[in-house]
Amino acid sequence: MHVEFLGIPRQRARVSEVEIEARTLGQAFRVLSDQFPELRELISERGLHASVAANLNGDLFVTDPNTPLTAGDRVILLSSDAGG
Amino acid sequence: MLPGYHGCYLRIDVSDGRAEKVPLSETLLRQYVGGSGLGTRLLLDNGGATVDALSPDAPVIFAFSPLVGTPLTTSAKFAVVSRSPLTDRINDSLAGSGFALAGKGCGCDAIVLVGRADRLSLLVVDEGQVHLRSAAQWRGVSSAETEDEVRRMLGAEYRIASIGPAGERLVRYATISHDRRHAGRGGSGAVLGSKNIKAIAVRGRRHCEWAHPGELVALSRDLSQRSFGPATAKYRELGTAANLLTLNRFGALPTRNFQSGTFDRAERLSPEQLGVRYPRVRSGCTACTIGCEHLYEVDNKDVRLEYESLFALGSLCGVGAGGAVLRASQRCDEVGIDTISAGGTIAFAMECVQRGLIEADWLNFGSGDAVLKAIDLIGRREGIGDLLAEGSRRAAMAIGRGSIAFAPQVKGLEIPGYEPRALQTMALGFAVGSRGADHNRSGAYEVDLSDKVDRRRATLDSVRYAIETEDRAALMDSLILCKFLRGVFSEFYDEAADMLRLVTGWDVTADELHETARRIVAAKREVNVRAGWTPAEDTLPERFFNAPLPNDAAAALTREHLQELIAEYHRQRGWTPS
Repeated sequence: MHVEFLGIPRQRARVSEVEIEARTLGQAFRVLSDQFPELRELISERGLHASVAANLNGDLFVTDPNTPLTAGDRVILLSSDAGG
Repeated sequence: MLPGYHGCYLRIDVSDGRAEKVPLSETLLRQYVGGSGLGTRLLLDNGGATVDALSPDAPVIFAFSPLVGTPLTTSAKFAVVSRSPLTDRINDSLAGSGFALAGKGCGCDAIVLVGRADRLSLLVVDEGQVHLRSAAQWRGVSSAETEDEVRRMLGAEYRIASIGPAGERLVRYATISHDRRHAGRGGSGAVLGSKNIKAIAVRGRRHCEWAHPGELVALSRDLSQRSFGPATAKYRELGTAANLLTLNRFGALPTRNFQSGTFDRAERLSPEQLGVRYPRVRSGCTACTIGCEHLYEVDNKDVRLEYESLFALGSLCGVGAGGAVLRASQRCDEVGIDTISAGGTIAFAMECVQRGLIEADWLNFGSGDAVLKAIDLIGRREGIGDLLAEGSRRAAMAIGRGSIAFAPQVKGLEIPGYEPRALQTMALGFAVGSRGADHNRSGAYEVDLSDKVDRRRATLDSVRYAIETEDRAALMDSLILCKFLRGVFSEFYDEAADMLRLVTGWDVTADELHETARRIVAAKREVNVRAGWTPAEDTLPERFFNAPLPNDAAAALTREHLQELIAEYHRQRGWTPS
């Protein structure tokens, strides 16, 4: 599956996107925090810091770590306060 | 004296410089707090709802707050409240920095200006002593230069709010500026210009007592510590410009006058890319620990760039060159106009050219030079600039031929950078906003970008979230605290009650502050009702009902559905449609 980074997650990860393997949102968070230690302040297997949001395929925003993921999914991680 | 307040406002008739202190009761202060709330109350009490915004009788109010002068981070702010010459409805704009401290130091909780000076003037308020001086030497000068020169002349202790050339020429979205920041929206600069006031210089050292100073200092320290954390990292590290790529990703970045929700050159305008070509430094308001301002160096000048300026002068006008957008933002500041209304009105004119409704073959989407030229013409009210200086609604009424359908405004105020079809809770917030389409009075976009709602299928459940963000904004704008702190609070109303209690000594509770917020929102509506508001104004331009966004069929909105949401909003507010 594919992960896109925007805002502070992108700033911390220093890349705009990455391919990972994960069957649930929680697994994706764990893989990401392992791969990008700079993200650990924001992401853990239990969930996200309130300043970060996750979106699935550009449609719904998701928070439940048990949310199932499939190979073609795109998870977008962004700064949650997307206003200015 | 009541802690946190001086218990009076200073009413100045600039026709002759007469000033009087008018008492403010503790009851009124507790009901409206300060900032936008107090300013709205004073606008009503001074008859400002029913007089033309640019008439001598129209009051313009500079309102401070009980938190001004405390060590609470981001609290050095002031509100400017008047009737808007752009919308003919209420306008409350906020700006930060030392003017709030020096103004409150004059021994008043607000300064109310009425009348009209007989020549372009500088109003000096020195510890409550008032006099007028000629400002002829600053005619046509930018607000930044005016501020520097007035300070050089009067002394470093003065803090100055001023207008640029656009305010003098009554451009309906002219700004009042201070310390390179702007009370930006709704044309308060034109209101000051109509009074022949080029600048206000304030100096004062009168401090208010605090009811519980030890606890207040401790709470302030804690709040400052929290303001360094992840909740404000976006503002510190990237600035609000970071929103551009996020909104583009969700098809919510207004592009070419809302003809699209995505911009193919968005990446070039991102702060990451801009930072590669243009050296960037950070700055912030007085008494702020966040430091959200990102200044880019262009042509040896530091240009402040926020998301709203970036979208309005960039994607909305189809401009993908970072340098062009930065120069346009700088030019707006020099002329003294709101970047959102400037970009919105120019983008509207570009679409009129595209459709053959007006003749200006140079004014095309994608041309940074055209945007710069248009800004200059607007600032001078020359040629087509005279029409565009009226804002997109009045321009559309003059052009006719159905162009009002795509004039990007609500109640006359140009729409900020959030595509309503892709963010439908925000669509409701725009439609019902008391000062028109506004992202600072309704933060409903953050609801859309959360798991609380489906952003492209707003339901009646979305309404309460829109109300919650509107209420919270009303209270933050009255306390006054910067909205960039909002993510720092876990229970905002509880913490706000603590702050107010420690400053004033009132036994205020979170429940009381919920009620206060609703009272302030209702007072703004009362201004509008007295000013002639009709239910038909609570809507969006026809464009948003005609078709879904290109490339996103799910991003569709119907007039009937929006009307259902609005009716539910009115019901939950307890307001009758009439």
